[in-house]
Formats: sequence, structure tokens, C-alpha cells
Amino acid sequence: MAEFVQLLVSGLATGAIYALAAMGFTLLWQTSQTINFAQGEFVMLPAFIMLSAIKLFGLPLYAAFGVSLLVSALLLGFGFKRLLVDPMIRHGVLPLVIATIALGIFLKEGVKLVYGAEALPFPEALPQGIWRFASVSVTVNDIGVLLLVFAMVLALQGFLSRTTTGRAMQAVAQNPDTARILGIDVPRMITYTFLVNAALVSVAALLITPVYLAKFDNGESIGLIAFIAAIVGGFNQIRGALVGGLLIGVIDNLSGAYISAAYREAFPLLLLIAVILFRPQGLLGRAEERRV
Amino acid sequence: MTALLQVEGLARSFGAIKAVDGVSFEVGAGEVVGLIGPNGSGKSTLFNCILGQIGPSAGQVTFEGQQITRRSPLALNRLGIGRTFQMLQVFPRLSVRDNLIVAGQEHEGRLFGRLLAPPDAGLGAAADEMLEQFRLSHVAHQAAGDCSFGQQKLLDIAMAFMTGPRLVLLDEPAGGVNPNMLGDLHALLRRLNADRRTTFVVIEHNMEFVMRLCDRVLVLAQGRILAEGTPEQVRANPAVIEAYLGD
Repeated sequence: MAEFVQLLVSGLATGAIYALAAMGFTLLWQTSQTINFAQGEFVMLPAFIMLSAIKLFGLPLYAAFGVSLLVSALLLGFGFKRLLVDPMIRHGVLPLVIATIALGIFLKEGVKLVYGAEALPFPEALPQGIWRFASVSVTVNDIGVLLLVFAMVLALQGFLSRTTTGRAMQAVAQNPDTARILGIDVPRMITYTFLVNAALVSVAALLITPVYLAKFDNGESIGLIAFIAAIVGGFNQIRGALVGGLLIGVIDNLSGAYISAAYREAFPLLLLIAVILFRPQGLLGRAEERRV
Repeated sequence: MTALLQVEGLARSFGAIKAVDGVSFEVGAGEVVGLIGPNGSGKSTLFNCILGQIGPSAGQVTFEGQQITRRSPLALNRLGIGRTFQMLQVFPRLSVRDNLIVAGQEHEGRLFGRLLAPPDAGLGAAADEMLEQFRLSHVAHQAAGDCSFGQQKLLDIAMAFMTGPRLVLLDEPAGGVNPNMLGDLHALLRRLNADRRTTFVVIEHNMEFVMRLCDRVLVLAQGRILAEGTPEQVRANPAVIEAYLGD
């Protein structure tokens, strides 16, 4: 039982980080129909920006994180939208999807060229240590990750539902034509979404890289899992992405421990297939009609 | 009566088809004007040309003496022209009340001010008043997409009033509305017209509704104005009966 609880908590913590990337996925899809297959690399890159800021300027981790937030907002938020999404989306969703796959490869190979193929150590973002409750031990890091992610989700939900800008962003996601007629600056709201995504991937990088170390190909698995989490939870619901991320983190951990460590990566895929077959709108998603 | 809206020689072709063919008319401030005609007579294209959603091939549109031809829908919205659509255009996952606030919030303050604005953008009272007028208070906090079609239709119309427009173009407001609610809708539009002096141009297929609601009716056929007059005059016009009412 103690082992189960420990696995559950650490699965939830890892899943919460996947959920950050998955929420970014759903936000981009909702406002701009962008399916970003470079999302994993978007989580990988801020880690190297932080490492560079630490190495070049001698900054402490959290100051380096601040630098990474700014650079990510510029490159992965604003730059991504203006230089890749805006020109490609005119040609349809599929060309954009292919372009984001190419961007992912470019980012991965670029980082490999500059930093090499070896995994680099990354400083811990949260206090280390172990809390013991009766026979159950959980790491302070896992609890910290969970609290931080839940605080971010609440802040994001609050921003979207309780501010005029957030409501305008939701309106753009749900009906851009009407939003435009009502005077909402649709391109600006979409840009805000890309900036929010840049912030989400930066936080995900800060939390996950101490576990996986900084490596050029970290984005491959993170991107795939975030995509699966977004579909499992429901591509049109932020809280769906959260639930999808948590669920996959837990399934991954428990299946690795109790069923088969060799096939642990297959279980999230099985869940994906089951969801697509039996609840294609996702666990918390809403079925929606689309005019074509 | 002062002309609020003037349409002069408006035309729009799609290839060889003349959807709107040199239409001219005026709408006075405070008038309720109906625009009727058989399917394909050019009513919606005329609306879209007036509202800048389709560029006209010829002609011009003037609002309060100001030339507005080919202005964007957003610019027209800011000038005081609202519209509703044939198809529902609400935000389905926002609450009914939030739909109303979204409809008005971009007219309040500049971008930075809006970022710091209170959650209801200072429009809570206006939204509540609109909810009451349109009898939607009981579903105020329900997602718009979960409301009945009739309620969504009312919400759609209510949203057009959140910016305090002087002219509202309604595209089939009675379409799909429960017959029991039509009387309420008629009374509501008449009250808005009387209390706020809002001018309406209404496209409608429900003859009973349009004849009761409107002061004046324009009949469009094959992209041209076939007849114009009070509802009684239009009803009695043999050309209209042949082209439309006799169908």
C-alpha cells in the first residue's frame, strides 16, 4: 500500500508537468487551430536557455528562469506565431502541422549542434527531501510540483474566466468571426495565447529537467505524451488537459511498477486508442460541430 | 424624418448573377423597416454589403451622413450599428451573462485599462438589465450552448444591444423561435424601439411577425426593390402577391 501511494504521488507530479505542456497544446488549438508538434522541443529549449544564462552570466536558477521566460515569450511565443504559424495557417492545418514537425527537428538538431548529445545536469528547482507519513514516503519535490502546477492551473482558469482579456480570449476560441465583429482584437488575443503557452512550457522545463537532465531529444517523449494527454482529456478543455496529464503520469508509473517496465510506454497509447474509440471528444471534452 | 441610413444604387454580382442590382432606400431614425422577399432575392447579400462583410460592386451606404461603404464590420459596430445573424452567433461555452459582457466590453476603455478592468468590465448592471428585458435572468449563469434555441436567439439579439447601437440589422430574428415566444419578441423589439429610439431593419420570412412589427416594408425580388410601403400597402400590392405572398 505504501509503495502504491508513493508511486501514485510521483505519477501525479510527473503527470502535472505533462499537463502544463498539454494545456499549452489545447490553448493553441482552441484559439488558432495550431497543432504544435514541436511542443516537446518547446519544453526542451527553455532548459538550455536557463543553462546558458547560468553558465554565461552566473545567474542563480530562478533568475535564469526569468531570462528563459522572456526569451521563450519572444521566440516560442511571439516569434513562433509571426514567423511560422501566421504564414502557414493560411494554407490549412496540415501544412502547419508539417511545419511544426520540421521546427521540432530543427530545434532538436540545433541544440545538439551547440550543446552536444550528452545529457547535462540541471539544478533542482524545488527543495529536496522526503516527508514520511506513517509508512508512506513522498518527496518534497513531488508535493511542490503538484502544488505549483495546481496554483498555475487555478491562476490560468481565473485569468480566462474572471478578466476581460481572458474572456475575450475565450470568445476568440469559441467564435472568432463574432468576436471580430464585436470589436475584440482577434490577432492580439491569439498572440496572448502563444505567450501563455511559452510561459507554460518554460515552467514545465524548470520542473521536469532536473529529473530527465537537459538533453537535446527530451522533447520527443514529452511532446508525444502531452499530445496524448490533450486528446485523452479533451482537446477543447483546459481542465481536460490537466486530467489527461495526471492520468497518464499515474498510468505510466503504476504500469511500469506492477505490469511491465518494458512496455510502460505502451499503456498511455492503449488509453489513447480506447478514448478515441469510445469517447472521441476526450474524457472531459465537449463534442462540437464544425462547419466545413 | 431624418434619414439615419441611406443606401444608393447598391449592387453586387457573383459572376454573371446579379444578387443585388442597384438597390436604393432610406431608413429614418426610429423607424422599423422590414425587408422581405423570396429565397434568393438578395436580402442577406444586401445586409452583408451594407455591413461591410461583402464589398459591393457599385453604390454607396451612408450612416448619419457619413459614408460607410466598405467599412469593416468592427468599424461599423463602433459607429453604432449592430447586427444579428441568421445562424446563431453566441459563444457556447461562456455563460449567458458573460456573452453579454463580451459583446460590450471592447467598447469600454483602451487595452491597458481593459487588462486592469474589473471582471465584469463595468458592464454588470447593463448586462443584468438586458437579461431582465430579454427574460433570460434565470439562465444568466448557464453556458449559452446549453440554453434552448429560442433562448440563444434572444441572447444573440440582446448582445447586439450591449454597445448601445442606434441602428440594428436583424437577420431572421423569428427564425426557429417557438411560436409562444414570438409575441414576447415582438413586444420586446417594439419596447426597445420606443425606449431607446433604436432603428431596426429586419429580414424576416415570418410574414405575420414582420407585418405586425414593421412601420414600413421593402420587398426585394431578383436583387431589386419590387415594392415599398406600409404593411397594408405591401399586402395589397398585386406584384408582391404574385412574386412572393402568392407562393
